[in-house]
Order: sequence, then C-alpha cells, then structure tokens
Amino acid sequence: MHTAVLRSLGRLTLSALLLAPAQTALSRRAPQDGGDFSQNPQARPLPTDAIMVKGAWASASDSVTPLPEGGSVADNVYTNKYFALTYVLPPSWTQKYYGPPPSDSGYYVLVQIRPGDANKVTGGTILIVAQDLFFTLVPAANTLEFINHAEEKLQADYKVERALTPVVIANHSFVRFDYFSPVAELHWYLLATQIRCHMVQFVFTSRDTKLLESLIQDMNQMKLPAEASPILGIGGGDVPICIKDYVRSENIIERVDPVFTERKFNPIPVRIIIDKDGKVKHIHFLSAFPDQAKSITDALLQWRFKPYVREGYPTEFETGIIFGYAPKAAEEPSPSAVSE
Amino acid sequence: MKPAKFVLLLAVLVLFFLPEMVFAQTDPGVRSNTGVNAGQPLASVAASANDLAFFQAGRAQFIEHQTVTGDNPGLGPRFNLDSCGACHSQPAPGGTSPASGIFPNVGSNPQSQVIANGIVSGATNTIPYFVLANGPVREARFPFFFDQFGFPNPNAPNGGVEDLFTVSGRADAGACSLQQPSFNMARATKNIIFRIPTPVFGAGLMANIDDSTLLANRGAQANNNLGISGTFNHNGNDGTIGRFGWKAQNKSLMIFAGEAYNVEMGISNELFTQDRPLPGEDQFGSGLPTNCLNLAGTGYPEDITHSDGTSAPTVTSDVGLFNAFAQFLDQPKPSTTSPGGAASIANGRGLFSAIGCALCHTPSLTTQPSKLTSGLGSAIANLFSDIEIHHMGARLADNVSQGGAGGDQFRSAPLWGLGQRIFFLHDGRCSDLLCAIEAHESNGGEATTVVAMFDQLLTPSQQQDILNFLRSL
Repeated sequence: MHTAVLRSLGRLTLSALLLAPAQTALSRRAPQDGGDFSQNPQARPLPTDAIMVKGAWASASDSVTPLPEGGSVADNVYTNKYFALTYVLPPSWTQKYYGPPPSDSGYYVLVQIRPGDANKVTGGTILIVAQDLFFTLVPAANTLEFINHAEEKLQADYKVERALTPVVIANHSFVRFDYFSPVAELHWYLLATQIRCHMVQFVFTSRDTKLLESLIQDMNQMKLPAEASPILGIGGGDVPICIKDYVRSENIIERVDPVFTERKFNPIPVRIIIDKDGKVKHIHFLSAFPDQAKSITDALLQWRFKPYVREGYPTEFETGIIFGYAPKAAEEPSPSAVSE
Repeated sequence: MKPAKFVLLLAVLVLFFLPEMVFAQTDPGVRSNTGVNAGQPLASVAASANDLAFFQAGRAQFIEHQTVTGDNPGLGPRFNLDSCGACHSQPAPGGTSPASGIFPNVGSNPQSQVIANGIVSGATNTIPYFVLANGPVREARFPFFFDQFGFPNPNAPNGGVEDLFTVSGRADAGACSLQQPSFNMARATKNIIFRIPTPVFGAGLMANIDDSTLLANRGAQANNNLGISGTFNHNGNDGTIGRFGWKAQNKSLMIFAGEAYNVEMGISNELFTQDRPLPGEDQFGSGLPTNCLNLAGTGYPEDITHSDGTSAPTVTSDVGLFNAFAQFLDQPKPSTTSPGGAASIANGRGLFSAIGCALCHTPSLTTQPSKLTSGLGSAIANLFSDIEIHHMGARLADNVSQGGAGGDQFRSAPLWGLGQRIFFLHDGRCSDLLCAIEAHESNGGEATTVVAMFDQLLTPSQQQDILNFLRSL
C-alpha cells in the first residue's frame, strides 16, 4: 500500500515535470479572450462593412460553371452568363448596392438599379430577380402561374392597372402585370419570363408612367436565350435542360446519404447538373453551411442516376433536391427531402 | 454690410431654402405627450388577483439591484449591470435603453455610473469608451478570438458576450482579481460589436404564436416584388422556430431570462447553473479562478426555487418571476393621433405597407390558445415583425453567428413601442429614425430596394407620414 502510494506520487511528480514546460508555454501565450493587449503597439484592424461570418450561403462544386447569382454590371450593362441575359442599364442609372445571397427558397436578387445621384429627379427603381421554380414557396409550376398567383393575391392596398397580359419583349415571350398604390402614388410594372426553370422578373417602379413605358421599351435591347418563355423556358440548346423532381427512387441507381455532424434544421436547396452517364457533374448550393456543403458534395459525387434520354439520346440535364429540413414535406420523403 | 442689405440677403436665402425647410422630413422624436404607453399587465392578468400578484412580484424582482453578498446575492464575478430593470427601463420596466434628458427621464446611462454608485471599484474597473452618459446601455462582443499576438483571428469566431465589469476591488468580493477585457485593443482592431437590450413588452404574445402561423405568413409574403426573402432561425435541439433576441436565437422566454441573468449579471440559476467565464477563459483557459467562485457563499445555483416559500411568488425562483413578468406584460399601446395627427399616421401606415416595409415588419400575427392567461390566447399581436431573420447587408453586419443566423442576418425587429424608444438597431448606433432606415440599405441587404423607394420615390410629405406612423407605435 505504502509502495503504491509512493509510485503514484512518483508518477504525479513525473507528470508534473513533463507538463510544466507545456503549461509555461501556455501561460506565456497572451490570453485569447481579449485580455490586456495594451502593450501591443501595432493594431491590425479587421475590414469594416464586410460580411466575414456568412452562415448559410451559396457555394458551388466548381468555379467555372456559371451560377444564377454570378451576374455583374460593367460598362453600364448587366450580364448574367447563367441566364444568357444581357441588359443595358438606362443612361445615368447605376447599381448602387449588390443584392443579398440566394435565399433558401430559391429567390435571387440579380441586380438593383436606380438613377445615379446626379439624376435622382428621374425617380424610379429597377429590380431584376429570379425565382428557382424547383424551390419556390409559391404554388406555381411556371412563370405564368407565378404571375397569375401574384395578381390573384394582390393586397387590397393596390389596384390592378393591367391584368396579366402576354407581351413580346426583345423577340421573346413575357407576361406583364401592372398595379398601382393609390396611397404611395407609385406604379409597379412587372415583366417576367422563364429561363432554365427560373422565373426571371423585371420590376419597374415609379410615379411616372411615361418613364416606366420608356424603360419597358428599352428592354428590347436585351439579349435573351432562345428558350426564354413564360412556360417553355426549360433550358436546352447550349445549356442543360431542367427537370423538376427527377430525384426519385426510380431514377436513382446508386445513392450515399450525406453525414451531418450537427443538426441545424435549415433547408438546403441544391441544383445539380447530371451528365449523360448519370453522374453528378456540378453542384450548386443555394444556401448551405460550409460543413453541410462538404458532406453533401462528398455524398452526391457518389450518386448515379438513370441517364435522361431525350429524342433517343442520353442528355445532360439539371434538377433540384432539398436536403435537411424541407419547408414543404414531399410525398416521397426519402429522395426529395433527405433527413439529417 | 449695411442692415438693409443684410435683411435683403437673409430674405433671399430664406426664400431659396424655404421649400426644403418646410418639407424636409424629420423624426418627431420620442413620443411623450401620450404618457408612458407600455409596461402594464395584460387586462386578464390585472383581473386575476393571483396572476397580478405574480406579475407584481416579477416586476419587483426585475427592478431589484443585486449585490455580491447580502440580501440579493450572486452578482458577478463578471457582469454588465446589477439589475434587469436598469437596462430594460425605457419607457418603463421591461423596455430598453434609457437616456438622460429624454422622456421619461431616468437619468444618465446607468452603466456610466457604476463607479460613482459604488457598484464596481474604480480602482479595478474603468468605464469602457463606448459607454457614454447619454448613450445606450450596451453589451460588447468580440466577433473573433485574438491570436497570441493580440490580433483578431478570422478563423476563430467568438461572438460571446464580454462582460464590461468585474467585482474585483469590492469589499464583498474577497480576493477575486479579474481584469476587464481589453476593449481599447478590440476597438483598435475593429474587433468589437455592441448590442442593446431588446424590450420585452408583449413577449408572452410572441412566445404564443405557433410556428404554423409564422410559416404561413412567410409563404404569403413569398411572391413579393421587392427583393425580400427571409428564413427562420431554428432551435438546434427541437427544430422549432426561435424568436427572442436580435437574431431570434432563443426559443424560450424562460431560457432567455435565465441566460441573461447569468450572462449580464453573473447570477447562476437553475437553467444556467455555473458562474460564467468570458468566452476565452472557458474555451482556451481554465475557467474562472477558484477565488472568484461562490462569492455569495450560498453554493450553486445562486438563484433557486424556494421550497420554503409560502405563496406562488415566494416559491418561484427569480428566473421564473422574470418569465412571469415578461409573459404577462401587455403589448405597447400605439397612439392614433400623435405625432402628426390621425390622418398622417393612417397615411403613414398605408405607405409603410405599400413600399414593402410590412413584408418583414408584419403588422400583426394571431396567437394560439393560452393556458397561462386568456389575454395571451387567440389574441392579435401587433408586433410588426415576421420573426424571420433577414440579410441586412454589410453595413449592419456584426459578424456574430447565433444558431442558424449568420453575421449579417437579424430578426426583423418588432416595432411595437417604437414611438417611445430612444436608440435603434442592434447596437444602438442611431437615435434618429432616418438614420435607422438608411442603415437598412447596403451591399448584400434585402431591404435595399424598399429603402430606395422610401428615399427616392416618396415625397417628403409621404416620408413624414411614415415617420409619424412609426413614432405612433
């Protein structure tokens, strides 16, 4: 008994000797809690007005494939490679601020345009948005239904000025819907089409209806892909066609579920491009935490789908899937809403 | 210059600037001519002797000042202030940051008076640079941990509360010796953000809105044409929707109260049972020094349910009483006539909705049936919030992540009672409504188009109507 105690004491002493340098090193480190750094002569400040901690955010498996949120304004032209869209800003109008990241319901603010500070008297705003029809909270399967829903649900504060009307802009089909707020004395003119299973919407707002009409006329300078149409905009040509709800058990040959290390209960909408062999070629997370994106990427790259055959040939296509918590429960939960 | 010429020049200048002077919109300021319009119990609570006793006991506990030892023990060893009611005081207990000279004048920022009032020792504490006599009550957070050289490390997110003061040097603190965090270094490296207290008026109503109501509201707003699309901050344990705090990071009012008691005042309780070290002291260090523990001498937790109590309020713990007080506080009563008159307020309300402010600041939501008191059940909560978190962009980003909310995401702040608040936004940077509205516009923010409409498309008269409406709340 006595020997055992001595042995234990010996081990303790040895441990203490071994640990001492480490503890000294630890104690030499400045406290990491914001303790007294008043002796530090050099401050290295963080950037101001920067979003450094991003939470759930958009990301992609590669940096080459165009993304819906990847458009930009240069030389007074808004260009979006994903939508094959080119829009010339009105003279002296500008993008003062870029928009938020895509939402977890698939909503994109593509660009916000307003008169430059020297031209405020013009008085108007242009908002170009997109809604991924795979993930929308609105009960609509295409752009026509989407705008129809907007008209049907228009709040009592507004008055319809022009009911939903098919129009042709830049040689492409659009739907137009105008409404007015008597209290604000503002007019909203909406024009929408569909590209790659996204509703792409132009929202013009002003007190001045002549200005709004001229802005709509200017839209004829726009360049759009051949597919653009309120119902038929489903990709094709140089880009993959888009197919809703392809991620079903009958279309999946191999599947590996992602392993999440933490429950967060957020919806994780993902667009994937599947190649002719049924392999996942590209993954776009509209909204995901980095660890979620990594787990899902690792899993999806192991998935194999039944190739999509169009006109007798296997065809590259894109589809959508929601991981994590799905705002709308799917009838078949396992493929379309994978639980964490 | 001859007097005649001077008068002529003055007249020309006045004529030149008169239109601007007449129509320039201004924040009417804190509404005072209608008395204090918040802080009362729900009518159903006032009508019940037992519930009212609970409410009053909760209120008394809420405004009580704590000490390290003695009758109200447990303060510290680190804290931001010694009473809930000192921070939540404008315009009544349960509210938010006070300021001297503004209705209902409650004196200088109490955090600026902690040395003068003997709450902390001036030998071991200084008043941080961001605590001003006429500024808001604040808590401070460092978005990132510092590295060993004293530089903020963007790869090491922190975001926890850095308590402003320590009990060190007080006669009842024994040998506990703690330093305040280095706020000046955090300032120099821009690694510091602030939060002001959120008012708890109507909190019981907010707690009693079912998730299905919130989800339905989100769905109803989805087809907007204004660039808005928020989400919810889900509780990490049960997945339901969080609703309290600047980032909707708290699901439960009781837990929120228990956490605040622990974090802001250093009082352990049945929900948060230990004294709280600073984030770095816990994650990277060894916790609080032994001689700073159990300073009250009561053992832990310092606040408990009293099995020797003789009535419900005397049995209930402080945290339970805080919860009862907040649950039973009625929503603030808006004015229909002040400021600006009934027509201006009504017009402002319509404009607020027309340009899209109401998409996030949802005017009202209905509660579910309540077992607590009838006033909380099937009631219209005029909270002006959708309880969603929205991207507010780079200008407002604080780079603190809480639950599912990222660095620029904030809950739509409930606007009820806004007319009698002094400081706005999460850090209290604005005391003028126009400043707060302008801050909603920035790179990466959802509200940018809406603010552009307010700023560029509405007339000054319409803008004034919106300001009057907001100050009527």
